[in-house]
Order: sequence, then C-alpha cells, then structure tokens
Amino acid sequence: MISEPLNLLDRFDPKLLAGLEGLSFKARYIMEGYLNGLHGSPFHGFSVEFSDYRPYQAGDDLRRLDWRLFARSDRLCIKRYMQETNLRFYIVCDTSASMGYRGTAAWGSKLDCAKVLGAVLSWFLLKQNDAAGMLSLKGNPGTARFIRPSQKPSQLGLMLRELDALTCGGGACLASLLGQAARLIHRRSLILFLSDLFEPSEEVVQGFKHLKFLGHEVVVFQVLDRDEVEFPFEESAIFEDLETEERRSVSSGNAARSRYLERFNRFMANYEKLFREIEVPHCLVRTDQNPSMAIRMLLAKRRRLL
Amino acid sequence: MSFAFLNPWLWLGVAAVAAPIWLHLQRKKERNLVRFAAVQFLDHQPKARGRPLRVRNVLLLLLRALAVFLVVGAFSWPYLRRNDRRFATRNRVYVLDNSLSRQANDGFNRDKQRIVHDLSAAGPDTRIAVLNLAGTPQLVVGFSDDRQVAMEKVRELKASFGRGSYLDGIQQANALLAEVGGGAKQIVFLGDSQANQWQESLTTAPFLRQVQVELPKSPIAQLPNLWLCEPRAQRIFLGETSRVNFTMRLGHLGPARSAKVTLRANGRKVYERNVYLEGQPQTMSLQAQCEADPTAWLLAQAEVDGSPDSLPGDNHLYFAVPPVVEGRVALLARSPYLRLGLAPDVMRGQWRVRLLDPSSLEAELSAEPESDVLCLESAYLQGPEGRSILKRYLEAGRGVLLLVNRLSPVIDVSLRELGFECEGVFEPGTAKPEHFQFVSSNHSIFHPFESPDFGNLMEVTVSRYARLRATAGHPLILSESGSGLFFESTKYPGKLYIMAFGLDREETSWPVHQTFIPFLDLALQAARPQDFTLGAFQPGEMGIIQLGGEPPVGAVVLRDKGVELGRVPVNRARASLPMPDKPGIYGITLDDRGEIYRFISVNPSPRESELVYLQSPRVPAEWSVGERDRTDPSGATEAGRVGFSSILKQHIWWWMVLLGLLALALETTWTLAKENSFE
Repeated sequence: MISEPLNLLDRFDPKLLAGLEGLSFKARYIMEGYLNGLHGSPFHGFSVEFSDYRPYQAGDDLRRLDWRLFARSDRLCIKRYMQETNLRFYIVCDTSASMGYRGTAAWGSKLDCAKVLGAVLSWFLLKQNDAAGMLSLKGNPGTARFIRPSQKPSQLGLMLRELDALTCGGGACLASLLGQAARLIHRRSLILFLSDLFEPSEEVVQGFKHLKFLGHEVVVFQVLDRDEVEFPFEESAIFEDLETEERRSVSSGNAARSRYLERFNRFMANYEKLFREIEVPHCLVRTDQNPSMAIRMLLAKRRRLL
Repeated sequence: MSFAFLNPWLWLGVAAVAAPIWLHLQRKKERNLVRFAAVQFLDHQPKARGRPLRVRNVLLLLLRALAVFLVVGAFSWPYLRRNDRRFATRNRVYVLDNSLSRQANDGFNRDKQRIVHDLSAAGPDTRIAVLNLAGTPQLVVGFSDDRQVAMEKVRELKASFGRGSYLDGIQQANALLAEVGGGAKQIVFLGDSQANQWQESLTTAPFLRQVQVELPKSPIAQLPNLWLCEPRAQRIFLGETSRVNFTMRLGHLGPARSAKVTLRANGRKVYERNVYLEGQPQTMSLQAQCEADPTAWLLAQAEVDGSPDSLPGDNHLYFAVPPVVEGRVALLARSPYLRLGLAPDVMRGQWRVRLLDPSSLEAELSAEPESDVLCLESAYLQGPEGRSILKRYLEAGRGVLLLVNRLSPVIDVSLRELGFECEGVFEPGTAKPEHFQFVSSNHSIFHPFESPDFGNLMEVTVSRYARLRATAGHPLILSESGSGLFFESTKYPGKLYIMAFGLDREETSWPVHQTFIPFLDLALQAARPQDFTLGAFQPGEMGIIQLGGEPPVGAVVLRDKGVELGRVPVNRARASLPMPDKPGIYGITLDDRGEIYRFISVNPSPRESELVYLQSPRVPAEWSVGERDRTDPSGATEAGRVGFSSILKQHIWWWMVLLGLLALALETTWTLAKENSFE
C-alpha cells in the first residue's frame, strides 16, 4: 500500500538536486524522500514463506523433516516452502544526442535525469536482493556496454560508476539498443528502459515486441523536458536538431506551437497505444519534476508481477 | 588610380567593408539558434518576418557603423585627400645637367638661376627636389628642405667635368616621385639635350607613371668646339734611345679653320703643330714622340687652341706614363735571330732573358714559372715537357709568344688544344713570298707603327708559314692571301700570341727588318701580365687601385700637388678611389708616405665634347606607362599614383585604422558581455 507523499516529496527542489555532486547523493536524496513518505518498510513483503507439507519419502533430506509435527502426530512430513524468486533487472539507457537537451526549467539534461533514475532504481532493487545489470551504447556507432546482473553489494558501485560515465552523442540508437538487449539478455528479466523515445520507427516498435516475445518484462521510463512537452518558445528562432543538425526556421506565433503540440501529442499517443497493446508499463518522467514518481510506478508494477 | 575590378585596393576595401557586416549578421543569426531535441515535430518556415525591423540596441549599432565608417574611411582617405584643394600638391624634381657639355655658353649657370628662381616663386603647395647630374645623380635638395637652404645649396653647386647619363637622372627623379603621395608629378630636365645622350641606353626605360616630363628645347643644332681626346702613350726603344710615343685625337666641330696643338712633357714643350681643319674628318689622329728617361714617370699635357670654341673645358689632355719595369723572358728557341733580338745588349733595361736548356726541362717544370713571358718555338711542343711548360705559363696567367716553325701531328694536336686548327703549310717555291697586307692598328702592339720612324711593316715578307685558323682567338696580321700570320688567343688567363712562322731567313725577312726589334719588344710587353690599375680615368668615376707586393697598406691617398683630396681604405690589396671632378694629373700615395706611388691622369669623356643637340627631344612612348593621357601639370584635378608606402606614412590613415579596430574590439566585447548575461 502506498500512502500519499509526505513532506519531503512535496519539498522536492530541482535546484538542490542539480547541485548535488555524484549519483550516489542524488539517489539517496530521492530515495530517502520517497521512503519517508511510506507507512512501512517496503522490504517486509518479500521474505521466504511456508507453502505446504508432503509425506516423507526415502532419500529426502532429513534437515527438511518437520520434527515438531513428527513429535505431535508421529508422521514424517517434509516442509515445502515457496521458491525464492530473485528478480534480474537491467537498466537500459538511451545515450543518443537528443538526451543531452536541457531546458531552462530543468534541473538537468534528460540524460542526467536518466542517470539519477537509473541510480535510484539500482539502489532500491539491490537493497531487495535483486540482481542488477545494465546495458548502454557508447560511441558512434554505438558499441554495447553490458554489465552482468549480480546481487553483490559491490554491484551498486559498479552501476553508479557506469552510469556516471555515460555521455550523450551520436544519432538515433534506440533500435540498436533494443536489438542489443534482445541479443544479450537471455533469461527472463525486468528491463527498465530509460529513453526519450525520439526515434519513431518500425524497428523500435518491433524491438519492444521482440523483448516481450522473449518473455522479458519491460518498463519504459520516457524522459522528456518541459520544453518538449509544452513548447514554450514564443520568438522566432532557428531550431537545430541535436542528432542530425538539421535546421528549421520557425516564426513566432501560436500557429507553430499548435502544430508542434499536435504532432508531439500524436507521437505520444502512438507510443501509449503500442505499450498498451504489448502490455508494457510506460512512465513519463520530466526533467523539471521529482524522479521518485518512477519508483512508485515500479513498485506498483512489482506487486502486480509478484 | 583606376577602380577596375582587378585593382587590389578595391578588393581590399570591399573585404574591409564586408567583414564587420558579415560578423554582425553571423552573430545575429547564432543568437537566435536553439539546439533542440524534438525538431522532427517542427515545420520549416523560411518566411520573412511579419513585423518591421526594429533597432533594439542603438549603441551597438552605432559602434558597428563607426567601425565600418572608419575602416572604409581609412582605405579611401588617400584618394579623398587628393581631391581636397588644401592638400593638392605639385611634386617637381629638377634634374640639373651638370656634365661638361653644359658648360658651353654658360648653360649650367643659367640652369642654376632658373632653379633658384623657381624655388623662390613656388607656392607652399609645391614641393621641389633637385638632382645634380654630374656622373652619378646626387640629391642636392630634398622635398622637405627649407627653401632658403635649398636655394643656397643650388647656388653653391660648381660646374663639373663629368658625364652623367640623362636616363639615370630621370630614373632617379622618377624613383623620388614614386615615394610621394598624391598630387601632380613633374620632372623638369635642365640640360643641353646632347644628341648622343638620347642615343644611349634607350633599352632601359624609366617607366614613368603619370609623371610629366619637361625636356629642354635647344634653339640650335650644334655649337662650335675643338677638343682633344683618347690619350695613349707608350714607351719604345730605338737602339739605345728610350722614347715615348704619344697618340691622341683632335676633334673639331664648327667653322674653325685651324687649331694649334701643343704637347708639354715634364714641363718641356715637345710638340707644337698647327693643324688645318678644313675638309678634314671630325676627328683626326695626332702623334708625337719625345725622348724620356725610362726609369722615371713622364707627365705630359696636350692643349688645343683655336677659335671659335664654345667649350674650353675639353681643350686639355693629360698623360701619365709609368717608368719601365724590366721584364723577364724565358726563351726556348733555337732561332739565332730571336736570341740576338733578346740579347742583353739589345734589350738592356727592358727585358732580361733566361735561356731554357731543352735537356733539363723537367727541372723547370718542378718550379713555379718565374718569368713574365715564355718565348718558344713549336718544335719544342713535340716533347711532353715543352707542352707542359706552355700550359703552366698560360694557366698561371703569364704570357707566351709561340713561333710555329715546325708542324707534326703531335704539334697539330697541341695547337688544337690552344684553339688553333692547322690547315696546311704555305711552302716556299709554290708561290712568291707574301707581304704583310693588314695589321690590326687598333691593337697596342701596332700603335707606334703608325709613325714612319719605326719602319713599314708592309715591307716584311713571309715565304713559309703554317695556315692556321683560329677557333679561340683572332688574327692581328694578315698576309696578302688573307691568311693569318700573327694571332692573339683568348682561351687562357695568360696572354698567348702565336706567330705562324719561325724567325729564320728561310721563312721570313722580318729579323733583318727595322721593325723587328720594336715589334718584339711591344709583343712581349703586350704578353706580359697586366697591371690592372688603369692610368687614365674620367672625372668623378670610381677608380680601382690594385696594389702590388708592397708592405701592408692601410689607405690610399689621392693628392693634387701635395694636397690631400681623398683617402680610402685598402681591402685585399684593392682600393676603390673616387676620381676628382676636374681633369688633370694626380698623385697617389700609400698611407702618409711622402713618395708618390703612382700618377693617374683624369680626362673628360670625349662624348661630352660633341656639342650636337636634339632640338625638340620627346619622351619616348615606352617611357610613359599607365594613364598618361590624364596627365595634367596643374595638379588641381589630377591625382598621381598613390603608393602603399606613401599611405603608410600618413598619420591620419593610421589613426583611422586603429580607431576602426578599437571600435570592432568594443563591439566584440559588448556582444560577448551580452551573451554571457543571457546565460
């Protein structure tokens, strides 16, 4: 049960988050703010639990014999427990050049936001003894950077270092990233996908469908800037694409903004429709808002999974 | 200044104007650039803006306009200035012909007076320079000199006896005018317009760009003149007597019927003759002889007197004849006549003979050639030692007199190496002996033979000689059949004279002819290594004094009757000594030693004496280049060529450029500050 956010969440300060040095601090700032808003510990629901009994058979391990039951009823029974299901999850982060955009109201660029989100999720899930791994692309053309999932305490440091080293650059890489995920992630896992999704193509759609087909659970965190969502520009300007360096001259006035928003909303609607169809949870994260919203969604999803 | 498209100044100016505008536009464009991630959702709208342009930052606009204005102004300033009457200038260079010929009819003093008058009458917008053309053109008055000082300098100029090239003067004046800025440019040539000056060096045009040249117009075609020139003196020996042979040329122009020529040697009159000039060519050769001590300098002066004569400055001629220095001859010949001609009692004081032993030539080869001249017969070229000795003498710069008394294949090869092809032998008996038909009278060997006292060379006969064809030399004596009998080679550093016959009675009658001994002496003198110091110079020219084996000398001093006229340092046994401006005989001493090292004679150029004038000389068409049709001496509307160096000298131009750059720097700082404040 998730309670309403309390004080610290309300007092979320983007400037303060931007001023914090290092992902670890930022992740702690987010997480502690979030945890203080809960009624109980989120860790209680995930321990080892008793399932049922079955008659003893020769060859069973005597350590699993219920001696108390034998003393009470003189029956030899073996205790059966619910199998422990340690989740494997992967942080998959888009590092295309469009992720480098930072609007005037944002506390960081979209990549910064994705890094913090990745760090928070890693910290949170590793605390629950889940195995965390990571996949990203580096360079242009991108080569895959893959961290195998692990439950070790040192995994968090490795993940944070890798997240910290991410830089944005290059052109569209979403389809490539999805393809690499399908190729490198073999066992059924939870894939946390961090991207602005500014690459609407058939290959991307096929990539998400392919991951679902392989049995992975995918959660998409779409990181966007306020400028991209609301298009607050009023003056005439020349817009240069961060990835293609294509330039478009835009006159001032509401007409351009209306056309932009119309296309942007259609773009968002298309993705939402797709994610509904393939049952992929989709969470919009804005760079001027508190990233802990993403954790709430993850927990809700986790409960549904378990 | 033409504003054609190919003019580099035009392009530079355009670039200067365009640069700040381009920068302004670039910055304006970049400031409105938004690097955005979701450009794919935007339409391209390259439409003109709907609202009018507004001036948002007046100060920035003013700064940019100021920068453009100053840079453009700096580049156009030199041309704007020319059209401003306050700056309109006339630049005038006077080229004052101060050569000897201008002394005729007092022309030089009249020219000086004109310059002084023009200097006093010229307004402040006229700049004047004066070049004195006496030998090398010299700047007497510069453009910036004070007028009073300039007039004094011109008045103090003295008439010169030198010869300065008109072209050099105009070229120097043109170079002066090229350095000035705008304004009309004019060269005023004040001279006598000698015809022979305009015929000299016409291939080196001065390339006058928008420079007007004013040339003198002579009212007369020529002036009467008498002059002496081309002095030559040689020491000769006739028997026991030592004589000096003088030759000179007497020139006359005009109605003079006769002239009296007098020659004084060491103060003693040795020659006086009335020369009738009517019907004679313009120049005629005169010869005189006198006995002289062979061991002492002989100083002589010739003078012509007659009337009418417009130019007295060229009536004197000076000679300085050095004493005889005994020469050394190495003799490798069997001819008894040759041995007799070089015998000590015949050539005493002139030549000391050393007979080479044919059997011990190897010893001669081991040492450096010690004689001045080698005299040998071709028969000794048959052996390798003889050929080696010949080569050693020639390569060491010594002289060789070779008598071809024998021919063989080996000797033919040797002659070929020397630059002579043997084409056979004129044999006795096949034809009668041949006389000398032609001698090169311009050669110094044959000058004395113009006098009958030395006998007639045409009486000499040759009955057997080698037919030689010179491939690296030229004949000096030709036979009746046109064959060369005596040659001068030009192939080696040392002088080589080749006689195509031997000196035996079977071959020639020369040894018993009275011309033989003088010829032998003169031929050996000509073959002897030269003293590279000339004895005769022209006024104002630079003379090279070559010192011999004297002890180390610091300076060479030029003296006139004991008075020091000039002193120059000695460098590597050579000294470059400027000759005095006045003709005469001068002494040269080494450092401050009392004795005279040598005498030199200074005589004017004979071309200065030809007082024939071009009445209306015109600047040749190839001299004026560019827009010469626009030349206007008034200077009010015409602008002269503006040189880059002259622009750099203008202070205002520099200030404009600096202020323009300062404005640009301020504009840049302002823009950067604004950009930072945005961020």
